[in-house]
Amino acid sequence: MDFIVAGFIKAIELLINFDHSTYTAVSATLQASTCSMLISLGAGLPCGFLLGYFNFKWKRPLRTVLDTLLALPTVSVGLLVYAFISSQGPLGQFGLLFTLTGIAIGQTILAFPIVTAITASIVENIDPELKLTLVSLGAGKRNIIMTCLWEVRYGLLAAAVTAYGRVLTEVGISMMVGGNIKYHTRTITTAIALETNKGMFADGIALGIVLIGIAFAVNISLSFLRKQ
Amino acid sequence: MTQATYKLNQLQHYYGDKRVLDIDGLQIQKGSITGLTGPNGSGKSTLLKIMAFALKPTAGEVWFNGRREVPLSPRVRSRVTLLTQKPYLLKRSVFDNIAYGLKIRRDRDNLDSRIKEALASVGLSYEGFAHRQWHQLSGGEAQRVAMAARLILKPEVLLLDEPVASVDTKSAGQIRRASLTARKDWGCTLVIASHDLPWLYECSDTQISIANGRLFSTGKEHIIPPPYDLSQKKGPVKWIGTKGKGEYILLPPREKPDGFAVIQQEKIRICREKEKKTGWDNQITGEITSMLMEKSSHHIMTTFQAKNFSLNIRFSPDQAAALKLLPGKRLILMFHSRDIEWR
Repeated sequence: MDFIVAGFIKAIELLINFDHSTYTAVSATLQASTCSMLISLGAGLPCGFLLGYFNFKWKRPLRTVLDTLLALPTVSVGLLVYAFISSQGPLGQFGLLFTLTGIAIGQTILAFPIVTAITASIVENIDPELKLTLVSLGAGKRNIIMTCLWEVRYGLLAAAVTAYGRVLTEVGISMMVGGNIKYHTRTITTAIALETNKGMFADGIALGIVLIGIAFAVNISLSFLRKQ
Repeated sequence: MTQATYKLNQLQHYYGDKRVLDIDGLQIQKGSITGLTGPNGSGKSTLLKIMAFALKPTAGEVWFNGRREVPLSPRVRSRVTLLTQKPYLLKRSVFDNIAYGLKIRRDRDNLDSRIKEALASVGLSYEGFAHRQWHQLSGGEAQRVAMAARLILKPEVLLLDEPVASVDTKSAGQIRRASLTARKDWGCTLVIASHDLPWLYECSDTQISIANGRLFSTGKEHIIPPPYDLSQKKGPVKWIGTKGKGEYILLPPREKPDGFAVIQQEKIRICREKEKKTGWDNQITGEITSMLMEKSSHHIMTTFQAKNFSLNIRFSPDQAAALKLLPGKRLILMFHSRDIEWR
């Protein structure tokens, strides 16, 4: 029990003393996750809207594939990305292995199906009266799409939070693609795994508390935005 | 001669394999009020959605102001608006809901005063409602806000689908007044689907019945609605009241499996007593349950009720006087089964 209390105290110490390794891990985590979330949202929202709004021949099989990808194991994504960006892989010449960009690519692959699938489900469940109302008020195609997305904004926010939660807490991609290099590609989750392996439970707990704090801060911010 | 706002030609619409609309032709005159009646599932809402250019018909043409138009055409989408029975309010304030149509038209002049005027036209105060959120309204208030959102656009055509079916008496009154004011103030053409026949006959210039997706002229021809009993030796019958007991309408052999039995008004004889040995194979006893005067023609629209079977029969003032029609009066309808058509 003492090491848990010690972990809390250590967390506060690390943050107050601006511990370099802690802050670089936080920074790496935020950089990779923010980058991957921006790309996933930018691509996933329109793809999810198209998938949910329109009916086409391969819609059902595509939804099944996408739903399967929701449970994608992070180590599998890590392995796949590793194979592509390692020096022997087809993208080896770009030097992405053991970089934050490499981690961001893997995390994007992880988050994109989540954003797309949840967006598609939300759009599919839009009240059919909404489109009828918009058409009857004189909306054109662009207005209909934008207003539909705005009407389901809280659901889309939930999709973003769900995807962000998965990206923020994954270990497999960061470990395999990032290589857990101190002050460079070490993220909070890989640092926790390392510290725990070393028997430094207090440090691990401290980093865990920081991670929970970030997740909490993100949710508080989104909740504030929602109220606005 | 007034121009037809709408001309529908050979219109058909299917949901899957089921045909829900089959209209040979329909014209709606500019500035008119057309009442649309018919049972649930008869095709009223589908017809209104097609007329609102929110639904593409499976087959046929919709002409608007002399041009053939299609859904989302820029020429029609700002001129026709539809209010449904349960309209969707956008997840924003009442002000923003009403302003939505104007904003997408990039028309932001005097928004406050116009929204105030639109709210007043449906009996809501700007101060009390403009800044309420969509979820802070009762069903009747939401319906009136939706109506205001359409009236502010001053549409050329206002289509109302059961606008007062699920609201309280006060809200219903406000919506009715507002829709009639639309014609008075800017010559709006109205098509109103409603089960509220007294109101419909009072306010509309013409009435159309729709059943099984097909149009009938109200008061000129009558649908004898299903179910039909096809198991009788004498031929298909429509039971008046409980199946197998009491009076029935004898029908001619059925020509179409999904057809409706229809009788022209001119083929019906109305008497005070049954006649024996006269050859009328259908003599139905009932009573008059309501009488309404049509605003435009001064004809009397009379509802004849025989247990669960009712007909709306249109009488000229002279005919009504000759038969001494009064609500509650017992009458006999007589007609030949051979005069009934299957459609």
